[in-house]
Amino acid sequence: MSAATIKIENHEQQEVKFTTCYMCACRCGIKVTLEAGKVRFIQGNRNHPTNQGVLCAKGSAGIMKQYSRAKLSKPLMRKPGTHRGAGEFVEIEWEQALDILTDRLDLIRSTDPSKLAFFTGRDQMQALTGLWAQQFGTPNWAAHGGFCSVNMAAAGLYTIGFSFWEFGAPDWDYAKYFVMWGVAEDHSSNPIKIGLEKLKRHGGKFVSINPVRTGYSAIADEWIPIKPGMDGLLALSVVHVLLSRELFDWEFLVRYTNAPWMVVQTPGKMGDGLFLRDEAGNPLVWDLEKQTFVSALDADIAPAVFGEFVAPDGRPLKTSMQLMAERYLDERYAPENVAAECGVPAEAIERMALEMAHVAFKETVELDIEWTDIWGRKHDKVIGRPVAMYAMRGISAHSNGFHACRAIHLIQMLLGALDGPGNFRARAPYPKPIPPHQVPENNIDIIHAPNTPLSRPPLGFPTRPEDLVIDHDGNPLRIDKAYSWETPIASHGLMHMVITNATNHDPYAIDTLILFMANMAWNSSMNTKSVQQMLVEEDPEEPGQYKIPFLVMVDAFHSETVNFADLVLPDTTYLERHDCISLLDRPISEPDAAADAIRYPLVELDRDVKPWQEVLVELASRLKFPAFTHKDGTRKFKNYPDFIVNYERSPGVGFLAGWRGKDGDKSLKGEPNPKQWEKYIENESFFAHHWPDNMKYNRFANKDYLEVAADVGFVGKAEPIIMQFYSEPLQKFRLAGQGLYDGPQPKNQTDRDRLVKYFDPLPLWYQPLEQQRVNEADYPFYALTQRPMMMYHSWDSQNVWLRQILAQNYMYMNRGKAERMGLADDDWIWVESHNGKIRCQLKTMEGCEENTVWTWNAIGKQGGAWGLKPEASEAKKGFLLNHLISELLPEKQGERRVTNSDPVTGQAAWFDLRVKIYKAAAGEVGTWPEFPAIKPLPHDDGERPNVLRYSTRSDAE
Amino acid sequence: MRLGLVIDLDVCVGCHACAVACKEWNASGTTAPLTDYEPYGAEPSGVWFNRIRHYEVGEYPHNKTINFPMSCMHCEDAACVTVCPTGASYKRAEDGIVLVDQDKCMGCNLCSWACPYGARELDRESGTMKKCTLCVDRIYDTKLPFEERQPACVLTCPTHARMFGDLDDPESAVSQRVREREGYQLMPELGYNPTNHYLPPRTATPIPTENMGKPGFKDRLKSLANKIVKR
Amino acid sequence: MHPAFSVIFFTVSSGAGFGLFALLFFADVLKLGGGLSGEQIAATGAIAFFFVIGGLLSSVLHLANPKNAWRAFSRFRTSWLSREGVFAVAFFPFAFGYLVLSWFSLANLEVLRLLLGLAAALLAWITVFSTGMIYGSLKTIRQWNTPLVPANYLALGNFSGSLLLLAVAAWAGLILAPFAYLAGSMLIFAALLKAIYYFWIAEPGAGPSIQTATGFTRAQVRLLDAGHTHGTFLTQEFGFKLAREYALALKFLVFVIGFIVPLALLIMTSGKPSLTWSALITVAALVGLFAERWLFFAEARHVVNLYHGSQRC
Repeated sequence: MSAATIKIENHEQQEVKFTTCYMCACRCGIKVTLEAGKVRFIQGNRNHPTNQGVLCAKGSAGIMKQYSRAKLSKPLMRKPGTHRGAGEFVEIEWEQALDILTDRLDLIRSTDPSKLAFFTGRDQMQALTGLWAQQFGTPNWAAHGGFCSVNMAAAGLYTIGFSFWEFGAPDWDYAKYFVMWGVAEDHSSNPIKIGLEKLKRHGGKFVSINPVRTGYSAIADEWIPIKPGMDGLLALSVVHVLLSRELFDWEFLVRYTNAPWMVVQTPGKMGDGLFLRDEAGNPLVWDLEKQTFVSALDADIAPAVFGEFVAPDGRPLKTSMQLMAERYLDERYAPENVAAECGVPAEAIERMALEMAHVAFKETVELDIEWTDIWGRKHDKVIGRPVAMYAMRGISAHSNGFHACRAIHLIQMLLGALDGPGNFRARAPYPKPIPPHQVPENNIDIIHAPNTPLSRPPLGFPTRPEDLVIDHDGNPLRIDKAYSWETPIASHGLMHMVITNATNHDPYAIDTLILFMANMAWNSSMNTKSVQQMLVEEDPEEPGQYKIPFLVMVDAFHSETVNFADLVLPDTTYLERHDCISLLDRPISEPDAAADAIRYPLVELDRDVKPWQEVLVELASRLKFPAFTHKDGTRKFKNYPDFIVNYERSPGVGFLAGWRGKDGDKSLKGEPNPKQWEKYIENESFFAHHWPDNMKYNRFANKDYLEVAADVGFVGKAEPIIMQFYSEPLQKFRLAGQGLYDGPQPKNQTDRDRLVKYFDPLPLWYQPLEQQRVNEADYPFYALTQRPMMMYHSWDSQNVWLRQILAQNYMYMNRGKAERMGLADDDWIWVESHNGKIRCQLKTMEGCEENTVWTWNAIGKQGGAWGLKPEASEAKKGFLLNHLISELLPEKQGERRVTNSDPVTGQAAWFDLRVKIYKAAAGEVGTWPEFPAIKPLPHDDGERPNVLRYSTRSDAE
Repeated sequence: MRLGLVIDLDVCVGCHACAVACKEWNASGTTAPLTDYEPYGAEPSGVWFNRIRHYEVGEYPHNKTINFPMSCMHCEDAACVTVCPTGASYKRAEDGIVLVDQDKCMGCNLCSWACPYGARELDRESGTMKKCTLCVDRIYDTKLPFEERQPACVLTCPTHARMFGDLDDPESAVSQRVREREGYQLMPELGYNPTNHYLPPRTATPIPTENMGKPGFKDRLKSLANKIVKR
Repeated sequence: MHPAFSVIFFTVSSGAGFGLFALLFFADVLKLGGGLSGEQIAATGAIAFFFVIGGLLSSVLHLANPKNAWRAFSRFRTSWLSREGVFAVAFFPFAFGYLVLSWFSLANLEVLRLLLGLAAALLAWITVFSTGMIYGSLKTIRQWNTPLVPANYLALGNFSGSLLLLAVAAWAGLILAPFAYLAGSMLIFAALLKAIYYFWIAEPGAGPSIQTATGFTRAQVRLLDAGHTHGTFLTQEFGFKLAREYALALKFLVFVIGFIVPLALLIMTSGKPSLTWSALITVAALVGLFAERWLFFAEARHVVNLYHGSQRC
């Protein structure tokens, strides 16, 4: 047969451009082929550090995102005289939209800036939005980290100086043992997939600890179906096994952790549990050779790791390690004593611990790389303990997740398996001091001052009660109550509480809520139905006004939340705008390279929409934020690209680290380069600064690395970053709870109790908070969600191609369990929690822990949203588990309602949910609750074709 | 030459990346477009060349989840070609790729009946049968960079679970992998001799745990002499 | 398999037409019942043409892209569908010649007439056999991949053809007994074959299973997710499932309406049915055959279903 019938590409019509994907949070490099202005093909950029040429399903489905029917096309205003949520809008011009918003914001800013709350969802521009909020002068800013992964971030940054997710990565090249704790389907999509393949190809063992076996867990060599929320206990049992057999890395503990630091033991007295310090404030250790207390930060010391000592002033002391050993050697943590609670056989726990120890200590990786430690000593080798770990939402989304994550870091510290070959390594700009030297703005005068920027960013890392963002009476100053006694180290804010608190005017009423790219009226909120009601709740004290008076929604697509907006600012897609993925924010660095990236418009705009970053720069200029305007009030930056090039956070440090300096010859630091965008575009839209071998490992104590890091502003000073498995900041909060703190202390008994109980300076496990309050016999199942691989962390899941793969979610249950309950595939069932009930369809599977049910999150949609027809499967058969989850803990007598979050960090406790399940009566079919279909927007006739034949070929039939 | 795919079930995580990359390439490829039905409606569907199925093998807690991508196997004895009355379906002598000439197909579906692997899907709009072309419009396109002359699914696979090559050449990387890993064909009993092979999941070598550490540290701790470790 | 009406109609109708034509020729040669006149032969042939052409048109309707139907003759060497097309087309000139010569009753061309008729009759049978082989040759469908299938097609085509011929004979006023015996024996033969077929497909074959389909032969294999929420071409074409009790009921119907009622009526009318009765018998048989053909598709389980979760096919 002839090959003549094979039609080859029309290359004449095509051009190839490189940019950065935005279909999820991975930010892979993509190579986009355009044909006559239309997107022909999106593929991975093989030179890009993040994805090395590969691309996931979402990335490839970007075409259908670009040509989505859900795209917003013009600014919208709620039609005068109609009710919020009715979905009646009028189109307005940008000028009018910007005027409306500027006037409103100007009034807020010149009276009480806190009345603006600005919260962002899956954005990748928090360095800009945070700066904008700071310049506005409102403390009420955060992104979605509070309901996503702050437990991981905070635990890492308060313990090891870097963290799971974006600030660290397993060293796949050398790892021989990899433990994945509670990582859903497709988290960190391509990097983890690339890594798992490397690990498996060179014969490493992959252990997955997860109640559900799908996605990554499918290819695990060992699957440990743990009960949800028990990971911390399992980790501490591993610690028990390691300690009881003396399987820990003495050198690592002495050199790089606070194991030998002296802890004052004066229970019931002020100062109990704090480190013994010298006059200069240095923590002290007992030097076994010198037989005296010396500064823990000095070189050439021989500290005692274990032991009880007496301070010169007579106070009893123990080393951190002594305290830790005493606690975890207790039989409470013996494998046989936790097995039933965790649902993991004791044998498996012990074996896992011993396997880790074997690989760490008997299969050590040694690289002939010379490096110098921060104390100036040269080493001729880098030693790697090739046990890598990774953890994510299975750990994070529980109210005990902060401590669970710390427990995992504790294992890593004992094994000496951090930032070395084959284990878990930091990604620039991390590691940072523990915690990073940035505390949230909490000066009440500045916060309340009109027309005044905050002196510091709204978010940060408190180390003591004085750093809380509260007023003189101890009341929260933030609308989400972050950094209040209720959640003191809420480093990412509590976005999931904003609508509830603002509606309840608790702690105060706000005027305007700006939401960017967050579907808070649907799958991003707990208690969705109630949240929708809150958004339309009128204020009895202000007739004609809603409890949340003005809601601005910024999004590129017609989401369920857009429907509730008073003002809609339509955004562009990721192929239509400039963007930067900055080292000041959540960069794309890899362990071996500091890296950042850009996006620039590849596709011509065909709608009257503007990139939100352009709008932010415009608003900042109109509102005359100091960082955006000259003294005479004229604007400093023409537009967003101009801002990115010329804004300097400190001299030489800006949003983009590549091609700095007038001639573009400086990396990481240098004067602004007017041709910086062009250089990025020439270089496939990313920049990577590869670390020389001597700066690749042990960076918490690597002199050469830390000097560079200090120079370019990653850290303040080149000084050792000593890992903190005993956390003094936690102890300070606990002392405040005990009434033993020389500084602010909570008045409310609930707060006191929580601080005493949960601010343990050592990792601990406790039963998740909701589970402490609901009867296990009434609600026998754990219930949780994950996103499917082809939709994980996606802006939405709605896309013509992706929805063909998954357009309806089911509740999954262990098959044997279902059989014993008389349930079968496709049965309609009721799932009921303390907060309500839903009806959905059941599917059984083997790979599900017996006490757990789970479903895909965010498949359920409201009809008419996301460009769908009202009868779409997502609307009629899909469902949200969110209705069952309350943003508040079940009521308890004598206690005010408190957030359903981790008591330390405020992380939303999505996965603490417990439910009961029973078969729906005959005739009860279809999902419940039902929601009315959303009306089409003004530009949209609501008509949808029954057939789509996308193609860029001009000769396609 | 006998071009085909080798799929490594040991590393496939079932992410559907290959399926969507296939869809996007072929939406504008040589048999473009690939029609979608009810794209915004109640029951979305469409023409795909590559579908990922997910199986569970064994029973809880000794179950394993297997992700299972399937596309045309480019069989050596391709019954789909034999049964085709119009000659639209053909197997290329030079490389063994099985194709459907869109200009000849009359849409009788018989080839899809003859295919045990579900590799063929009718495009109701064009009325023609469509299927995996092994990206014949990529792999021979000399205007593409050399390393990109591979099927879109292979190019994109995040775990490199898909390999493309000449299964006729015993020295090719794919043939070697098949030998080393005991790659197998699906439903060999039908005798179609599919070119694509599947590599089964591997069993990890056990990690020795005997004699790890000295038990009883709790007791030793009471009388512990600290090790001198200097910094 | 999805039971498509166009294909059901095509196979039943063309089978009856071809059966009628072949039997007509032999009735003509053997002067059955006194022999049909030239005009009667031509008229009967026209009826056969009507059934054949109706069926063939319906088969074209089944095509998604009928403008390329003419290409279907090009793969005679390998494709049974192509062969069927070629034979069906080749049938017409011979059949037409036979009918024309019959009509004009040219004595000097009698040998040619009979040769043409013989060729047409054989081609009619070969075409029906080819139709059966389209299905019988598919290794992907256990219920079809058996010589019983072409045998069934032939037997049922001849059976329905014989009833049509009986009706023709009644209309032509011929001696009906030989036609009735012919129809009766065809009926019994077809019914027996069909019964054998039904027993045969009820036996679980040792064919592919979900284990051989996936290669995981040592444990229970279950489908967790098919990778698409709603139907695809594959589920629409191959996913048709028929409950066992419906299948049984339908088989009962096939035998009662298709075989028992016609046989009973034949006996009741002592093998001499009036035109009305013979038409009724034929209609009953054809209704039975439609049910039979629907079942033929509905009960066929394509191996691709193994990938969609079936344990066996």
